[in-house]
This record gives sequence, C-alpha cells and structure tokens, in this order.
Amino acid sequence: MSFRTASLPALILLIGFAALPDLSAYPEFQVYVAESTGRTVNCAMCHSNSDGPEGTGPGQIGRLNPAELERLGHARSAFQPGQEVDSPILNAFGNHIVTSIGKEKFVELKAAPAHLAELLPPDSDLDHDGIPDAREYLDGTHPVNRNDGNPILLFKHNFRTNFSSIILTLAATISGVWGIGHLLQGFSTASRLKDNDHDEENL
Amino acid sequence: MKLHEIVKNTETYVAERFPVEKMSYSAMVEKKEVPVHRVSWAYYMGGLALYFFSVQVVTGLLLLFYYQPTVSDAHASVEFITEHVPGGALVRNMHAWASSLMIGAVMIHLLTSFAMKAFAKPREITWVTGVMLLGITFALGFTGYLLPWHQVAVNATKIGLQSIEEVGQYLPGAMAEWPRIVKEIIQGEAAVGQATLSRFFALHVIILPLSIIGVLGMHLLSVQLHGMSKGIDGTPTRHEKFFPTFFMKDLSVWGVAFIILFVISLTIPFESLYSYPLFEPFNSKGSTPDGIKPEWYFYFIYYPLELLPYWVILVGSGLLGAILMGTPWIFKNTSRKTLQILAILAAIYLVVMTVFGEQIYHMFKA
Amino acid sequence: MVDAFLFIGLPYLALVICVVGCIWRSRYKKFSMSARSSQFLEDGKLLFGSLPWHIGIITILLGHLIAAVVPRVWSSLMSVPAILFSVEAIGVACSLLAIVGLTTLIIRRITDARVQAVTTSMDLVVVLLLMAQIIVGLLTAVFYPYGANWSTGTVVPYFWGLVTLHPDMSYVTGFPMLFKLHIIGAWILIALVPFTRLMHVLAVPLGYIFRAPQIVLWNNARRRRVAVEATARAESRRDFIKGAVGVTGATALLALGISDKVLTYFKGPDPDPEAESALLQKKLERLQQTAEERQIELERQKNAMILVARYSELEESQGKYFIDYAMAPGLAFLGKDSLPLLISAKCTHLGCTVGSQVNSEGQILCPCHVSYFNIVTGEPNPGAPAKVPLPHLAWALIDANGETIASAKASGEVSGSSDPAVFAQCRLYITQPVSTSI
Repeated sequence: MSFRTASLPALILLIGFAALPDLSAYPEFQVYVAESTGRTVNCAMCHSNSDGPEGTGPGQIGRLNPAELERLGHARSAFQPGQEVDSPILNAFGNHIVTSIGKEKFVELKAAPAHLAELLPPDSDLDHDGIPDAREYLDGTHPVNRNDGNPILLFKHNFRTNFSSIILTLAATISGVWGIGHLLQGFSTASRLKDNDHDEENL
Repeated sequence: MKLHEIVKNTETYVAERFPVEKMSYSAMVEKKEVPVHRVSWAYYMGGLALYFFSVQVVTGLLLLFYYQPTVSDAHASVEFITEHVPGGALVRNMHAWASSLMIGAVMIHLLTSFAMKAFAKPREITWVTGVMLLGITFALGFTGYLLPWHQVAVNATKIGLQSIEEVGQYLPGAMAEWPRIVKEIIQGEAAVGQATLSRFFALHVIILPLSIIGVLGMHLLSVQLHGMSKGIDGTPTRHEKFFPTFFMKDLSVWGVAFIILFVISLTIPFESLYSYPLFEPFNSKGSTPDGIKPEWYFYFIYYPLELLPYWVILVGSGLLGAILMGTPWIFKNTSRKTLQILAILAAIYLVVMTVFGEQIYHMFKA
Repeated sequence: MVDAFLFIGLPYLALVICVVGCIWRSRYKKFSMSARSSQFLEDGKLLFGSLPWHIGIITILLGHLIAAVVPRVWSSLMSVPAILFSVEAIGVACSLLAIVGLTTLIIRRITDARVQAVTTSMDLVVVLLLMAQIIVGLLTAVFYPYGANWSTGTVVPYFWGLVTLHPDMSYVTGFPMLFKLHIIGAWILIALVPFTRLMHVLAVPLGYIFRAPQIVLWNNARRRRVAVEATARAESRRDFIKGAVGVTGATALLALGISDKVLTYFKGPDPDPEAESALLQKKLERLQQTAEERQIELERQKNAMILVARYSELEESQGKYFIDYAMAPGLAFLGKDSLPLLISAKCTHLGCTVGSQVNSEGQILCPCHVSYFNIVTGEPNPGAPAKVPLPHLAWALIDANGETIASAKASGEVSGSSDPAVFAQCRLYITQPVSTSI
C-alpha cells in the first residue's frame, strides 16, 4: 500500500502551511506517520477534532469558552515534562505527549518525528488494547481507540484476555456437536429397529 | 406445435424439475444418500453458506434493537453498540465478519457446483435460483455497508452508484439521462443522504431478506427433492447415508465454522483492518480521506473498473451475468473435467484480483 | 525445622517409597495385589458403600489433578464466577457423597463377619486415614472457601517445585493448621500406597471406557434373531445417552456463558454518570451539527439568492469558500476582468474539497489525489485523476437598494453593467439554479 506519489505535493502544501508562524498544529508528524506506515492518518490521532485545532468546529480553537481557553494556555506553556495538562484541543494521547515530554522537546522533535516513539513512556497504553501507545504511533493506528491497532497484536492480546471464554465455547461446541451427532445416530438405529419390528409383525 | 402438445411438454418439464412425489419420509430421510468421491468435500459448501446466513439473521436482529437509521444518529448508534452495550462489540463484529465469510462460502459454493456440473438436468431450477441468491447476497453486502454511515461507507457507496450513472455516456440523445435518473431513484435524492440511508435500511433489513427467504425456499426444496448430484463423470461407487452420517459431518463443519467465527470476532475488531480515519462519521462538507475502496468481495470488479475502459467492464459483466444464468443450457454437454478447469481458472482470477488488485492497479497507473 | 521435614523431607520420602514400592510389589509380589475375596454372596452394602465413595473421591481427585497439571487454564476458567461456584458446589457434594459411602464401607468392614475374615490391620488404617483426610478436606472447603481458585497460586507451585527438584515450602508454611494437616495427610497416604490395598488404583481398567460393546454369539437360532434386535436397541440406547449427555453439557455451558450476557444486552448499558454525560454531550454535538446543516439546506430551499461575500472582499489569488445550492462547497474569486468568478470546489474525481489558493498558472489544487483545476475554464490538468472540469456557478451582484447590477449564468454569459466602480458597493450572491428534475 503506497500513497507516496499522492502525498508529495500535499507534503509541500502542508509544510508550507507549517511555515506560517501563528499555526499551532504540527503536520510534520502526520506526514512522517503516513509516509512510513502507508496508512492514512489525520489530526485525530492527537487532536480532538479530526480536521485539526484551527477552525470553529467542536474541539477547535474558534469554539472555546473562557474556561477552556485558560486550559489551552496552561497546556501551551507546559515546556517541561511532568506537568499534568488538559488541553481542550488535544485528545488523551495529545495531552499524554505534552505531559510526558514537554512542549519544548516536542517542538524540537518536529525535525525528527520518528524519535517521538522513543521518548514516550514504553508501557503506557491509553486505550487498553494491549498495544503500547508508542507502538501505535509507529504503526499509524489510533492510540485512544480500542478497536484500532495492528490486527495481529490485537489478536494476541484479546486471545489471552478472553481465553476462558474461548475454552468454554470450544467445550460447549464440541460437546453439543458430539451430542447431537449421537442423538441422530440413535434415531437412525431406532428407526431401523422399528422397521424390523414392523417386518416381524408383518411376517 | 399444437396447444395440447405445448401444455403436455410444459407439464413434463415442470414435473421433472419438481418431483414432488419424492416429498415422502422414505425418499427424503430414510433412503437419501450422498456420493463419496474425490470432490465430495464440496457438498458441505451450500450448508456452510446457509449457516453463515442464519448467523447474520440472528446478529442482525440483535443489532436492530439499537441501530438508528438517521444521518445524525447512525454512526453514534453503532458506536453505542460497540462501546457501551454489553456484548455489543461481539455481536457487531460477528455480523461484520460473518458477512465476509458468507460471501466467501457462497463463492466457493458457486465454483464447486459449477465444477461438479450440479446444474445438469433436472437441477436447472436449483442453479438459476442459486444465481439469483448470489445477486441478492451481494446486494445485502452493498446495502449493509452503508448503514454505519462512516467515511468509507458513504464514499464507497457513492462511487459504486456512480458506475450506474456512467452508463449514460454510451446512450444516445435523451436516453443519456436515464442512468442518472435510475441512480437518483436508487439514492432517493440527488446525492447520497438521508433518503438513501432509509432506503438501504429497508432493503437490507426487510426487502432483501424476505426475497432471499423466498428464493432460498425454492432452492432448498429443489435440493431436497433431487438429492445431491453425482459430482463426477461416470457413476460414483461409494455412497453414505444422509441421515445420520452426512448430516453429522455437516454439523461438525458448522461447529468448526462457528468456532473460527467466534474467535476471530472476539479477538480482531473489524475496524482494525482499515485506517481509522475511514471509520470517522461521514462529513459531507469536509474532504474525503485517502484509501476509500469498496468491500473486498467487490475488488474483482473494482480494480478492473479502475484500469480498463468502462465499456469493457460493462460488456464483460453483462456477458458474465448472462453466462451464469444460462449455464445449465450453455454447458449442457461439457464434461466435468473441462468444467473443473474453467472453475479453477475463474478461482485463480478471483483470488489474484482480490489479493493483489491494489498492487496491479499501482503497477499500471502509478 | 519441623516444617522443613513435613513439607520437603516427608514428600520426597513418600514419593520415593511409593514409586519404588509399587514397582517392587507389582514385579515380585503380584499375587498380593488381590481382593482376597469376591464377596459374591454379599448384599447391598458393597454397592451403596463402594459406588458413592468412588464416584465422590474420583471426581474430587480429578479436580485436584486438573488444577495441578494445567493451572493456567484452570485459573482462567475459575475466574468466571459461575464456574467457580459450580466447581465448589460439586466439590462439596462429592465430599458428602464420599463420606457417606466410606462410612457404609467402614461399618461393613467392622460388623460383617465374612468381610472381617479377609480384613488386615492395614485396611483399617487406610480406611480411617482416608476418612480423616476427606473430612479435613471438606472442613478446609467450608472454612477457607474457593480453594479451587487460591490453590493454583499456592499448592500447585509448591507441588511443581518438589517435582522439579526446586522445593519451595514458603508457598505452604503460611497456611492454617487445618489445611497443613490435609497436605501432610496426603503425603502419608502416598507413602502407604505400596503397603496397602490402595495399590488397586494402579489396576484401574481404563480400557473398559473405550472397549467396544460385547456381542454374545448364541448357539440357538431364535436367540440369535432376538440378539440382533437387542444389540440394535442397546446401541441406540447408548447413542441416546451419549447424545443426551453431550447436548445437556453443551446447554449447561451455553446457559452458564450467555445467560447473564443476553439479559444485559437487552437491558442496555448501565454507565456511570461521567460516561453518561459524555455520551449525551456527543449526541448533542452531532444533533447541533445536523441542525446547522438543516438550517443551511432550508435557506437554500427558501431563498432565491444566497449571500456569498461583499464584492470588496474578493481576491484574485485566494478564494472564499461558500456552500452552494447543492450543499456542495464552492469558491469565489475576483476574476481578471474584475468580475466575480464562482466555481464549484467539489473535486470531480472523488468529491474532495479543492484548495482555495491559486498558483502561478491560475490553478487551484485538490490535495487528495493531486488534480489541478484552471479557475477560468475549470479544466483539470492533463493526466490528472479528475477528468471532468469543475462547473462554474451563476451569480448576481446586488447593490444597497436591492437592484441587480450585474449577473452571470453558469454558462458564463454575463449581463448588466461591467463597471468595477459600481461593484464596489455591491454584495455577491449565488442564484438558485433552474431546476433540472424529471
């Protein structure tokens, strides 16, 4: 799956946008993930609105009330890691990045987006799907959506979690099929018997 | 021919196709036998398709309790089922996976029945009703796909319906408008919207299932009356009784199918197979995300559509449909060996185009 | 010190004695492994003693064995509350059954003269030890319940530690005395196996379970005929029993597994207040979005003209977005001839919204699959995925008094004034297209 040819001019366009100083989105990361994984991604990986933070839709800057603007300001000034932030334009993963890396380091990473995965805490799994957030970033799957992830990893995790249900269902199916099979055999033997009885009577 | 001769011939024809004198306990249960030979594994395929269909009916009814067919609530209701209703995620995933498995079973059933010459006299009605069932099944897949109302659902439906409108370029004069009108009748309005969703919901939940039950009834009646076809050239030497031996094996196949479906639905969410932006709620004013494509069982026609001129696909599909419907008469005198080769070639095309279609497309276009 | 002997020394001693003793006795003293009397003329006490005892103890020992051999599967099964309850209930029932049976056997052994004649002192030791062991086990289950669950983390690793020669008694030294007695009793019984009739455990005819039904060959023709029927009847009876067992088992498991889930599925979710309000918030936002869309739709139904922008706001190189009568995006530019230039912004390829920035060649870009559209002609660049040009839209310039100063049809035909000086005060509108419905 390759969208490389489609994305080159889009890349230029997006980086052109990023050059504007008052923009607060960071499309370099989106471009990196889309290029390296071949999966389509959008701003919803880190932001509340899938079209990004600019605009007047829900989860975008143009629609924030004063209380939310305050939270936004607090998050924007969290240059060092370790400060709990709750930015209204970021989702849980976005806030997690700011909290664990700090805005200063994050802005530095614009030049090397691949390194974001190395700096995130390795055992954080926000959507509890068994795949660490850093890995979901590298795979291009949504870190806050339990149903999105590398199918093989999801399979392994869900298999282990639901092991008892699987074993019991297997036992129930085997027992049921075996039982019905023998019932059928019993009916067939019994009906042959009845025929013999009838034959005997007719004799 | 005189009228009474025509009537007599019709009578004989129908009587041969529907031997209702065989609707007795002794013929249908006690004496029914199934041939045992190299290809007798294929006798299970029809039952498997029926099994997956019943799974769809049950899971579909369960989903019906919570699904809301309005443009503003459809996506949210599906999300509600998956995230909040206890057991809802399993029901939803089983419905999605079983639809793919059902179509897979139906395709294998088609190819194997063709290869076994199961359409030979007197089983022509079985074959023709089967082809109708194939069409209804694909229609169920197409209509059902729209219901979650996410990006890939609406956009793939738009693109699919667009292909109807494109017939217009080949029609002269005023007739060029007719395909567009047909498309708008199917859609219910000028663009895919609430009217389309309501229509597709009605089709998917009631109209198509009712018609499938009707046609399936005919299909199953015909199968029960005629029994299993012999399947190979020449006469099969070994037989096994339908009750209980073959039926027990049939049930075990259904048991295995259930386990596979259950484990897959429990462990692999359907949505994880595609990029997440494709599952976001449809936004009519926003742009379309990359990677929109129809369901995998349409790939065999979708990628050729993208690569070849439209009229080639149009003529090809028309021919294919006609050949499928007319198989019992077109291939009346073909040997099973030839039919097997044809079926294998068709299978190779389907598998290659489905699995490698995208790569092939990029080889030629990008 | 005492603990070390009881939980490491004693077990190894018992295991060695058991293994060596059993092998020795079955090779050199085969005939000592006998029942000493067939009790052919006995009444029902053996039946009502032996059967409940054996059924009870075998079930219990099987539970112990499965937990020991596949602890992970067992503990994941026990994590289902319904299964745990059922297992504990079966365990208690079977212990009571076994105690009743064993009591009958003890009474039989000490009161019946015929049985006394073939009883050794070791028999009495064994039977009393067994009774003690099973009573202590039952008391453990009563006072420290759910052993089916806690044993997998304690007794099972202790046992495997012994077997793999890495004994770790810390798993069991913390237990209350009652349970420690149960463990010690088990090791003592194991040590006694080669010296007692407990060796009959090694002679269990397991093959009988899988043995084909016996067919009697009659010498007599009438009996032969009747026997055919009888065999078929017995076979169908066996099939019915197996069928009933299988189906009942499957139904029981099914009921266990889905009964509560089916009820809760139809009852619906029971979310906490936070989740409930988040859900309502989401629904509200989507409803608001729909309401906004309906508003825009209504506007386009009612009004013959929709405002796009003021003429003075139009630019040549940057278009303004608006929503046209077909609810599709559109762009408004200032044309080179100072007339407004309105073009649809819905890409004719797959419907993406085309960008608003005009490049040096007078084209706007659709970023989805990279098609460039010339804004004057609407034509896509050669080789673009889009094949059909973007249509232009009809517009009208209205002055402050509501007079139409200039207008254009979608075909491009302009009517009215073309003096830019007059336009400066005007507002730009799109006009309702002539309907092309059936």
